Amino acid sequence: MRLVRAEAERLAARRFVQLMVVLLVLAFGITAATTLADSHQPTASELASAERQAVEAQQSMEDSYRNCVAVHQGSAPQGQADEYPEDCSFLDPAQQERLPVAGDFLYNVFTFADEARPLLFFLIAFLLLFGFLVGASYVGADLNSGGVVNLLLWRPRRLAVLGAKLGTLLGGVLLLSVLASAAYLATFWLIGQWAGRPGRLDDAFWRSLGGLFGRGLLLVLLGTAVGFAIATLGRHTAAALGAAAGYVVVWEGGARVVMEILDVRSPERWVLSSYVGAWLNGRIQFSTDVVCYGRSDCSGVWSLTAAESLPVLLTVAAVLVVAAFAVFRRRDLI
Amino acid sequence: MSAVVEIDGLRKSFHSLRHGRRVAVDGFDLLVEAGQVHGFLGPNGSGKTTTLRALLGLVRSDSGRMRVLGAESPQRLAEVAGRVGAIVESPQFFGNFTAHRTLRLLAVAGGVPTTRVDEVLEQVGLRDRGHERVRGYSLGMKQRLAVASALLKNPELLILDEPANGLDPAGIREMRDLVRSLAAAGVTVLLSSHILGEIQLICDHVTIISRGRRVAAGRVEEVLAGFDQHQWRVGVADPGHAAQLLAAAGVPVTADGDHLVATGLADPEVISRTLGEQGLWVRELTPLRPDLESVFLELTGTAPDRAEPRQVDDSVLPAPRRSESTIDLDVTVGDNREVQA
Repeated sequence: MRLVRAEAERLAARRFVQLMVVLLVLAFGITAATTLADSHQPTASELASAERQAVEAQQSMEDSYRNCVAVHQGSAPQGQADEYPEDCSFLDPAQQERLPVAGDFLYNVFTFADEARPLLFFLIAFLLLFGFLVGASYVGADLNSGGVVNLLLWRPRRLAVLGAKLGTLLGGVLLLSVLASAAYLATFWLIGQWAGRPGRLDDAFWRSLGGLFGRGLLLVLLGTAVGFAIATLGRHTAAALGAAAGYVVVWEGGARVVMEILDVRSPERWVLSSYVGAWLNGRIQFSTDVVCYGRSDCSGVWSLTAAESLPVLLTVAAVLVVAAFAVFRRRDLI
Repeated sequence: MSAVVEIDGLRKSFHSLRHGRRVAVDGFDLLVEAGQVHGFLGPNGSGKTTTLRALLGLVRSDSGRMRVLGAESPQRLAEVAGRVGAIVESPQFFGNFTAHRTLRLLAVAGGVPTTRVDEVLEQVGLRDRGHERVRGYSLGMKQRLAVASALLKNPELLILDEPANGLDPAGIREMRDLVRSLAAAGVTVLLSSHILGEIQLICDHVTIISRGRRVAAGRVEEVLAGFDQHQWRVGVADPGHAAQLLAAAGVPVTADGDHLVATGLADPEVISRTLGEQGLWVRELTPLRPDLESVFLELTGTAPDRAEPRQVDDSVLPAPRRSESTIDLDVTVGDNREVQA
C-alpha cells in the first residue's frame, strides 16, 4: 500500500501527466465554449418548423421505399428502375439506424441527446491516447532515468514494484476518466438544458450512453496497459510510440493493402482497429465482394460484434502485459 | 565478527548477438564483516559494479552464492532491504522532481518516516538546495542526493559505488568524514572507488578485483605489507662511494638519481652504521612503503608504463579461484614483485 501511495504521488507529479490533463481541460473547455457560443434555445416556431421538416423527411423516405418496391414488382413505370437500388431494403425506413428527427432541422441548436454519443466518442479517443502515452512514459521514463533501480534498492520485489506501478497507473487513469467523463457529459447536458435542447433522454438513451461509456472505459484501460507493457518490454517510452506507429503504418495500412490485393477474405478481421470500432459501437458492419464472386444470393455484408471483439482486445493486452512482467522479472537492470 | 556481505564464487556473463558472450565476473569472492569500512577496487570494466548489482538483485548471476546481512540474495533480499542503503554507479533521478520530493517518495515507498528527509539532506549538504529540481543539479550534487537516498533508511550496511564521483575536493573530504562518522556509529560500509588515496584513508579492509576475479583481499596494511620490499631511500654526499660500501656489506642497492635505494632491510641500522664507520654521514633515510595506488596498479597490471594507450580490458587476468567453498581473509597477492614506490 505504501508503494501504491508513493507511485500515486509520483504519477500525479509527472510533468507529462499534468500537461496531458491541461490539454484535456483545454480541449474540453474549447469544445464547450464553442458549443455554447453556437447554440441557442429554439423558439416555438423553429421547433414547429423542424418537426414539420422531420415528418416530411420521414414521409419522403417512405415514398422512396414504396416506389422502389413498386418498380421492382412492375407496378410502376420501368423507366425509373435506374433511380433505385436492386435491393429496396436499403431504403426501408424500418431498417435505418435512425429516422430524421426535429433536431436534424434545428440549426445552431445543440441537442444533447443527438450529440452526447459523438462527444463521448471524442472524449474516449482522447482518454485512450492519454492512457497509452501516460502508461508508456510513466514506466519508460522510470526505467530510463534509473527510478526503477532506485525503487528496487528499497523494495527488491520486481513483480510487486511493476505491479504497483501498473495498478496505480490503471487506477489513476480510471479515476481521471470517470471524473472527466462525468464533468464532460454534465457540462454538455447543462448546455443542452440552458442553451439548446436536451432532446429525448429516455431509458434507451441512457442505457446506450452508459454502455458506450463502460466500453470506452475498458478500452482506455486496455490502451493504458498496452502502452505500459510495450514501454516496459522496450525499456523506453519511445518503444511504445514506435511500436504503435509501426503497427499503424505497417499493419493497419500496408498489410491491409496487401491483403486486399491478394483478395484475402475479410482483411478487416486481421486488424485491431476493426475490433476497437466494434467494441465501442457494439457492432460494426463490413462489406466485401470477395466472398460473393459467382454468387447472386450474397450481399457480402458481415459484421463484428462487441462480444466477438472483447476476447481479441483482452488477449492482445494480456499477452503484452504478461510478457512485460515475465521479461522484467528476469531482466538485468544495468 | 559476523559476516555482513558474503559472495562466494560469483559468476556473471553477458551475451549479445554482436559480441557474443563476455564474462564480467568470474568466480569472485568477497567477505565484508560487521563494522568494516571495506574498499572494493578494480580497474574500469573489472566487474565491480556488476558484482554490486548482482549482490543487490539488479542483475541475475550465472552461479555463486551471495548473502547480505545473513539473507540469501536475491531470494531473501527483501527481508533485509530496509537495513541496506546503496547507490550503484552514477545513480540518476527524475529531473523534474526536487531532491526533497525524490527522497520523500522513496521514504513513503520504504516505510521510513519522512522526517528523515530533512535530516539526510542536511547530512549531505543539500539542506538549502533540497527544494530545487534535480535537473539543475551538478554531478556532485546528484551524487550527494544519491548518498542521501542511501542514508535515508538509517542502514546497517551502506554500499557506495563511486560515491566521490563528481565531487569537488571539499565534497570528497566531506564524504570521507561522513563515511568515517557512519563507521564510528557502527555502520558497515562497502565502498567502491577509483580514488585510491581516499580508500587508503578511509578503509580498513580492501578487496581488489581484476577482470572479474579477486586478486587481493584483507586488511589494507596487510595487502600493502605483501608488497613491502623493505626499501630505504638513502641520501649521502657521495652516493657512488656509499653504494660500494653498502654492496660490500651485503646490502642490495641501486642508484636513484643522486640518492640510493637499499632493498631488503627490515631495520635500516646497517645503513647508517656502515656508512658512518667510513665517515659518510647519512643526510636522509626514508622508508619506501608501497601505497594502495602502486599496489593496485601492480596487482591489476594497469600501470601506465607503456608507450601505447592502455585499453579497458588490458589488466591482469588472475588464475581462477582455488577453492569453490571458502573465502580466505588472507592476503592473496602472489609473489612480491618490485614495487615502484
